[in-house]
Amino acid sequence: MILTLARASLVRHRARTLLAILGVAVSAAMLLDMVMLATGMRVSFGSLLLSQGFQIRLAPKGTLPFDTDATIPDASHVVRTLMARPDVVAVSPVLGAQLHVEHGATSVSAAALGTIAAVQGDYKLLTGHAPTRDDEIVANDALLTALGANVGDTLRVAAGFDPQLRTFTGQRTLRAVGRVHFIYLAAGERALAMPLESLQAIEGASRTDRASLFMVRLRAGANVESARSAIEQTVHTVSAISTETAIQQVEQRLSYFRQLAFILGSVSLAVGFLLVTTLVTVSVNERLGEFAVLRAIGVRRTRILEQIMLEGAVIMIVGAVAGLGLGLVTARYLNSILAAFPGLPEAISFFLFQPRDAWLSLGLLALCGILAGIYPAWRGASLPIGPTLREEAVA
Amino acid sequence: MTAALSLPLRAAIAFLVAAQSIDSLPPRHSPRSVAIDERLAADYAIRLGDTIVIAATPAAVGDTVVVSALVRRSRDPSEVARGAYRIRVHLDQLQRLVGYGDRVERFAVGTNGPTATDSSLAAIDAAAFGFRAYSSHEIAVESSTTFLVVSRFHRAIGVITIVASAIFLLCIMLLKVDERRRDVAALRLMGISRRTIVRSVVLESALIAVLGSIAGVALGAIVSAFVNWHYQRVYRTPLTFSLVTAQIVAIAVGISLGLGIFAGLLAAQRLVRRPPLSLFGR
Repeated sequence: MILTLARASLVRHRARTLLAILGVAVSAAMLLDMVMLATGMRVSFGSLLLSQGFQIRLAPKGTLPFDTDATIPDASHVVRTLMARPDVVAVSPVLGAQLHVEHGATSVSAAALGTIAAVQGDYKLLTGHAPTRDDEIVANDALLTALGANVGDTLRVAAGFDPQLRTFTGQRTLRAVGRVHFIYLAAGERALAMPLESLQAIEGASRTDRASLFMVRLRAGANVESARSAIEQTVHTVSAISTETAIQQVEQRLSYFRQLAFILGSVSLAVGFLLVTTLVTVSVNERLGEFAVLRAIGVRRTRILEQIMLEGAVIMIVGAVAGLGLGLVTARYLNSILAAFPGLPEAISFFLFQPRDAWLSLGLLALCGILAGIYPAWRGASLPIGPTLREEAVA
Repeated sequence: MTAALSLPLRAAIAFLVAAQSIDSLPPRHSPRSVAIDERLAADYAIRLGDTIVIAATPAAVGDTVVVSALVRRSRDPSEVARGAYRIRVHLDQLQRLVGYGDRVERFAVGTNGPTATDSSLAAIDAAAFGFRAYSSHEIAVESSTTFLVVSRFHRAIGVITIVASAIFLLCIMLLKVDERRRDVAALRLMGISRRTIVRSVVLESALIAVLGSIAGVALGAIVSAFVNWHYQRVYRTPLTFSLVTAQIVAIAVGISLGLGIFAGLLAAQRLVRRPPLSLFGR
């Protein structure tokens, strides 16, 4: 009976119910988006950092990886020191630089990474093979397209210009031996990779035996934090950053989005709550006589309470389910806007859907729907039967 | 007080040009002056006149310098999320400290207006091989990309908020007008025209919208002040994060008024179309 009465009440005012559901749907969409925004960045960034199995990154003391042009001296000594540790499985030194690349009449600048092919974790090979010889490079699609080049082509690279001699410095002729996808680079960023020693040589004396970053892979089960701390104490020229620390630092930089997500998510919940409370309250006010009659014919107070609360919960749940779909669409749109952040790795997603988020949003909204019905339900159920019937009859 | 500070190369170099304006070159035998970030001074209890040591790397032998000025971060949005401290040192001293030779990363060139800027850019690009000259406008466009993205994101959130508000308002107006169906029925039976009733409802909803807008603007101003206070503390910057301008107020009131009138009109039309007796429930 409760279901029938609740349904009849909602269907009686179709436009009103529809608008309320629509309002809740928009609130639910916003809430889902904000829950996704609050957690997505952390999860997405964490999985990106761990995607290649490196748990610790070493950057020049006091800096974040590739945040400055600073480099770490004695790279080969650092690698040997790290590899001597029993909990370290692999160390990947990386040198970053900006190179001038020419192919035919086309010339562009590109980010260059010097790595050791056997242990690198910066790119995934799509075609060809990894660069192991001094004259070999691999490039991403953005660079190959910009140059109009293909795998197998010969490219000329230079580290810079000498304004006095009016010539390129560190000029080399290299061969593209593979097409790769760079994991940590922004979409559309032109980049190439080559053996570490080749890039050090191209960059000249200032980069001899230097690296911008070391990525460290630990044995399974090793304590990351204690390894991080020990490395920092052993190698004084670096700041050791664990994945957890890196996530915290990025979160700190982008804390604005988390706070925005919290505020807008709360506002969405409040709006949904107010909407349902208002609607159910007005609906109860209109049906005071109906409730008095039900009470007069012996319907228990709790049944009326349940019926009114059910009305609120139905609006909230139907709206929330519709809103989850809408939320996924808007999240995709909002993510496409934020994806244009300069330098943001392609794999980072601000709005990452996880079933947990959907359940959390749905649960919060259902709770709000139930809470929203409490006051009007209590009011409807606690009416004095006699006076209410008389007032309704007079009206 | 003496403190050894290691500073990222880039952070220091970024201020090469500005460094020249700190003061004139003092005699080499006394410690030279340095201007430091006021956040660095606050965090490490450094005061004006203190002696500190600056070095390119932690292990390197540095220079002893005297803190002669504290500098506040500029209102540059691109600096907001960067926590690195900045110091300003004399150009030649920094070149020596970091082994940079007679090099700089960039030159800032003053011109006599936009025409002179364009001709200077062309002349520099044509004459100096290996250099690329940019106008301040080009650099501003390039460095503000992040904030354009954030601005677009805010606009999208704003549109969603407006849609939610519109539905909320429409729902409330519908309920409010519906609640008065007996009054409307009585007025109609007394001979008051539909048009008059619609006008009165629209006027009422417009008034509610205006009052709501005034309350909203006041709330917005308070929230804006809180946002500025909070984020200026979080990021330790004088940058203004939230700005309530006359234009923003006008847009908000305009949208609110438009939505209010539309919602009132829709609700009133829906009510006056029904026969008066049916509004009485007969």
